[in-house]
Amino acid sequence: MTRDEFLRRLRRGLEGLPSAASADVIGDYEAHFDAARDEGRSEAEVAEALGDPGRLARELRLEAGIKRWEEGRSPSTAWTAVIAFLGLGAIDILVLLPILLPAIGVLIGLYVALLGVFIGGGAVLIAGPFSGFPGGVAAALLAGLGLMAAAVAFTALLVIVTIWLVNALLWFGRLHYRIIKPAIDGQG
Amino acid sequence: MPEAIEIQLKKGVLGLCVLALLSRANSYAYEIASKLAHAVDMGEGTIYPLMRRMQSDGLVATYLEESPAGPPRKYYRLTDAGRASLQSQLAEWRSFTAAVDGLVGDIDAPIPTPLANAAEDAHDA
Repeated sequence: MTRDEFLRRLRRGLEGLPSAASADVIGDYEAHFDAARDEGRSEAEVAEALGDPGRLARELRLEAGIKRWEEGRSPSTAWTAVIAFLGLGAIDILVLLPILLPAIGVLIGLYVALLGVFIGGGAVLIAGPFSGFPGGVAAALLAGLGLMAAAVAFTALLVIVTIWLVNALLWFGRLHYRIIKPAIDGQG
Repeated sequence: MPEAIEIQLKKGVLGLCVLALLSRANSYAYEIASKLAHAVDMGEGTIYPLMRRMQSDGLVATYLEESPAGPPRKYYRLTDAGRASLQSQLAEWRSFTAAVDGLVGDIDAPIPTPLANAAEDAHDA
C-alpha cells in the first residue's frame, strides 16, 4: 500500500469525527511517513508496519467515542460510543447483537414508560383536584406528586443501569483493539 | 500463558518508557516509536494513541520545531505532572523488579537434584 492509499483510507474511516481531531490524526501519520522516508524506508514497508488503516480508523473512532462519553455522559455521547463499538465489527460483538439490540429496546421502552408515568402524575396533580378525583383534593395532589416522584426515582435507577451497561460495552470493545493496543505481539 | 504475561508487562511499562525517554531529551513520535520498537517490540503505530492519551492526561505537551527537511515536526516534552508521574512510576518499577528478582534471582544458581525436588514435594504435601 502506498502512503496516499493509506492516508486516503484512514481519512475515509475517520469521517464523522470532529474535523480537528481527524486532522490531528492524519497529520501524525503523514509525519510518520515523512520521517520514515528520511530514513530510507519504503512507503509499502511503513504502511505494512502501521497496520490496516480501516481497522485503525474504527479503533480510533471507538477511542474518541469513549473519551467523549467519559467527558460528558449524555444520551448522544452514549449513542455515538455504542455505534462506534458496533462498528468494530468483531465476531463476538456480532454474536452479542441478538442480546444487545433487545436490551437497548427494553431500556428505551422503560424510559418512555417512565416519562408517561411522570406526565400522568402531573395530569393527576393539576387536573385531579378539579375533576372529582376519588378521595378528594388532597388525595389527588398526593397521588399526582407520588407518581411523579416514583417516575423520577426509577428514572434515576435506570440511568445508573444504563451508564453501567454502556461502560461494560465500551470496556468489552477495548478488549478487541488490535492495532492501537499498546504492546503488540508477533510484530517482529 | 507466558505470552499473555509478556503483553501485560509491556503494556504496563510503555508509558514509563516514554516518560523516561522524554526526560532525557524532547523528541518526536517517530523517534520515540523507533526507540521503543527496538526495546519492547511495540508496533510503531501504537505510539500515536499512547501519546495522545498521555497528552490529554497532561503528562506531556507538544510544540513545533523546524526539521532539517520538510514541514516542522511536532515535538513532545515532559510537563511537571509528567516528571512527577515518572518519579512515582520509577519507584514502583524498581520496588517491583527488586521484589521479583528476590524471588527468581537465585533459581539459576543451584540446580535442584530430583531427590531435593521429591523432598520438597513431600514437604509441600
